[in-house]
Amino acid sequence: MLPSGHRQKIREAVIITAAFLTALFLLRQSAKSPEYLSPLDRGILALVTPLQSRMARLARSIGHAAGQYVDLVHVRAENEALHNENGRLRAELLEAKRGAAESVRFQRLLGLRNAVTTETLVARVIAIDVSPYFRVARIQLDRGEGLVSRGMPIITPDGVVGRINRVAGDTSDILLSVDPRSAIDVVLPRTGGRGILRGKPGENGYRCAIEYLMQGEQAKEGDLVVTSGLGGFPRDLPVGKISKVARNAVGMSQELEVSPDVDFARLSEVLVVVAPTPPADPEASAHKPLVPSHGLGVYR
Amino acid sequence: MRSVATLIVGLLLLLLQSTVMEFAPVHLVTPTLGLLTVLYIGLSPLKWAPGSAALVGLSLGYLFDLVSGAPRGVHAFVFLVMALFARALASRLAVRGVVLKASAAFVASLLSALLIVVVRAQVSPETGYGGLRMAPIEALLTAVFGPPVLWLLSRLDGRLDPALLRVGLSRRRARALGSGLPPR
Repeated sequence: MLPSGHRQKIREAVIITAAFLTALFLLRQSAKSPEYLSPLDRGILALVTPLQSRMARLARSIGHAAGQYVDLVHVRAENEALHNENGRLRAELLEAKRGAAESVRFQRLLGLRNAVTTETLVARVIAIDVSPYFRVARIQLDRGEGLVSRGMPIITPDGVVGRINRVAGDTSDILLSVDPRSAIDVVLPRTGGRGILRGKPGENGYRCAIEYLMQGEQAKEGDLVVTSGLGGFPRDLPVGKISKVARNAVGMSQELEVSPDVDFARLSEVLVVVAPTPPADPEASAHKPLVPSHGLGVYR
Repeated sequence: MRSVATLIVGLLLLLLQSTVMEFAPVHLVTPTLGLLTVLYIGLSPLKWAPGSAALVGLSLGYLFDLVSGAPRGVHAFVFLVMALFARALASRLAVRGVVLKASAAFVASLLSALLIVVVRAQVSPETGYGGLRMAPIEALLTAVFGPPVLWLLSRLDGRLDPALLRVGLSRRRARALGSGLPPR
């Protein structure tokens, strides 16, 4: 019979070993199938997501109220007598501006939705970049739960956001286009060169790069980058602009750094492209070579 | 009971980190509040057995993986290691006072950032080993939030101390007994 102190030590060692084995098992599973979510994961997410969503809404309200308060304090310092009137007007103006901005945002989203020939769903962003080491955002669908699946493109009127990585009920994790694990087929309209857009590994900001662009198709800083229409993304959707060109003397490719058009830090509503883009009409290109047969020519 | 309460507080801190901090005017980095919970557990060797600390670290990391959308297991592994690191630190150094607590939070945040990058590179090799440039700022923010969060957790832990709960003593009562003069 072992003494109780010894038994206690063995028990602790067993627990710690089991904890390490569990963590390693999770890591191995993640490496094999990153999209997999167990019933336990789904259960936890179902419990946590409403709380996360409410906290996000609360944070926005607090931020808005704090902004109004700061404005009021400034007005009071200028003129005590005019404080109430001025404050009310400023608050109304802020509210109106916010409403107008929201309206413009929704109109643009609606415009994009009408421009995209495929079926889309609107979703709200409830969290983004919780960990600075993974470029992931979380969205919540207002309706259409069950229609989304892994790999579906996420877009906004400003451009490409990324793809769905994991789905749990009405909540999905988006792999942003600036994550190194993301790969999007893009084209440079000026040169016609094509490449794969990937997030830049090791970048702290929102940067990505184009790989596999042939050396012959010389790109330059400021060139527009749009989607090619392959991989589920609507064609000609803006992606960003070339911010840096690095020439690869040995190989055939150019390394192009891209500044995305989308401000990921301020994402609020996005569109999920739930149906694949219809194939281009081969005859249309024969008659009108420069006009896309479908997609978003208006955003070019 | 205490582990569950600590997990709930840790989860709330993770949610706070994932939402409120993200909507702050400056969107750069956020303090790793979840890590502070793990740090607290590791730094309280008299209250938390190593096994319990490891389990809470693993669970909180797993929750963080789910909340943040990171590959499952990355934070679970890192938080587990950090719980044991804090435990080892506490056995060699009495982490008392604001400065030492802030320093411990700073070092833990830097170390966890390094570990996350290494583990991430193993799970998704395409992400590489970069991304550590903001780690010192993140660690600095964590150090600023460290002492108040650790203090809050210690208050909560004091109220849920199993030794006191077992004999039906609240924290206030226990303190009065403990700090009183010896009986005449």
